[in-house]
Amino acid sequence: MSSTTRRMIGVYRQYWRINVLTTLEYRENFLMWFGFTFVYHGSAIAALWVVLSRFPSMNGWDFRDMAFLYALWMMGHALHNTFFAAIGDVPEHIQDGEFDRILVRPLNELFQTITMPGQIFPDELILAASFFVFATWYSGVHVGLLFIVMVPLIVIGGALIDLAISLVIATTAFWFIRVDALRWIVLQLEQEFTRYPISIYSRGVKLMLAFVFPFAFMNYFPAAFFLHKTDTGLALPAAVGLLTPLIGVVVATLAYIFWRFGLNRYQGVGH
Amino acid sequence: MIATRPYRFRLEPYIEFAKKAIARESTYRFEVFTSIGSFVVRVYLLRMVWTALYARNAAPEGLPLHAIITYSTVALLMGLVLDIDQTRLLHDHLHDGTIATDFMKPINVPLYFFSDGTGEVLFHAALIFPAILLSLFLVHIDVPSAFVLVMFLISFILGYFVGFFINFILNCIAFWTLEISAAQLILTWVTDLFGGELFPLVFFPLAVQNIIFALPFAAMFSTPLLIYVGQIRPERYAEVIGVQVAWVVVLAGASWVMWRFGARRVVVQGG
Repeated sequence: MSSTTRRMIGVYRQYWRINVLTTLEYRENFLMWFGFTFVYHGSAIAALWVVLSRFPSMNGWDFRDMAFLYALWMMGHALHNTFFAAIGDVPEHIQDGEFDRILVRPLNELFQTITMPGQIFPDELILAASFFVFATWYSGVHVGLLFIVMVPLIVIGGALIDLAISLVIATTAFWFIRVDALRWIVLQLEQEFTRYPISIYSRGVKLMLAFVFPFAFMNYFPAAFFLHKTDTGLALPAAVGLLTPLIGVVVATLAYIFWRFGLNRYQGVGH
Repeated sequence: MIATRPYRFRLEPYIEFAKKAIARESTYRFEVFTSIGSFVVRVYLLRMVWTALYARNAAPEGLPLHAIITYSTVALLMGLVLDIDQTRLLHDHLHDGTIATDFMKPINVPLYFFSDGTGEVLFHAALIFPAILLSLFLVHIDVPSAFVLVMFLISFILGYFVGFFINFILNCIAFWTLEISAAQLILTWVTDLFGGELFPLVFFPLAVQNIIFALPFAAMFSTPLLIYVGQIRPERYAEVIGVQVAWVVVLAGASWVMWRFGARRVVVQGG
């Protein structure tokens, strides 16, 4: 093991220690934010349940299918939020000059960004895993060897897709400084459009969700594969649902290359 | 009329507060783009969702596809105004301590927050017009008779006051806790779901409906919207608007109590 790797592991361990200690220190605040996470996902699922109890089928998907669809997205998204959420703060760090400090320290900039201590706790991930177990049982999806092997990889792939998107947005802040609007719109696109099977959208939106912001690989394609839905919305073979880990690695790598590119051109904002 | 005594009530300062709030809001250009952008995205989304749901299921009684699309579009337009926290300034002033100097000024402090919030809301209300124009590219909005439209507007204004006092009460909690961001976000999701902004409350199962219609959130979005799409017939106008007025009175009373006790706390702490 190289000394850099050993140092990174040490930093990472410290990072989680500080996170846990902060959470324990501000317990009320943590509970309040946990309440928020719970209500956020709870209200989304409740809304799906109410609407689908009135209209039992959405392009052939019933509430059980949609619960699984949501759970799969929730897992990838929560995994991203737990380990990479700090990337969203990059524009802020650039604005207040904090990012310039990262540049002069002798450690990978992205690694430093990710390990900015905050008040991170894997509560959303635990919530997501619980709901995922429930939704898997409830949807009656067949849990075979393929499912057990592929689902963790798909979830990691989903988190990498999320990571790639937030890294690209963070990188644009090197040029445009304030990217709140962009970040917000993409986030909304993800949260609201991944809830439904993409087959309900027009062709342009489908293509965008599959290939520009590949959120469809986080949940729609894999869910369609495991639930044996014939219509994948873009007439692609069902097995594309298993490509999520590959797509995740590819887009995260591309995003990292873009990040390095932006980093090399970054001039600072004049602090 | 010119005031001669120093503490006599004058309206002019409050109009100026409102104007100042309008000027302040108009400097946040990005926020204008995000709210319009996200509005357009959501209009597109709801059209796709409702179209897909109505395609394969029987339409609920009295709510054909065009009515539900009208409902959701008008709900989003109302959301441009109602989803704003008009009393955020109260929370901000409690947070940074400037509330103490507010009390020293020869003004009615709650009214000051009210006029500031009104200015903010008026600015955002102006966004309704471009939003309507943009949404007409995506959806068809039914327009009811002039009488229904007038009743809708009355009910909308009452709904605005219900929302104002709910926000005011929540922000008053900051007198005790100082930090309420998570609680505010929770309230946003709860209002979305139980206020009827996402879908008509008549979609809830009957047993749940009885509870939800008894909550103040229904008086914000649901009542004006159901008047607009004709689900509430003219013979029930007196009843539903009476309920809204009752909520305004009750919540205004509760706000007054919260304010009295909260303001006393500031004095006890010595400002």
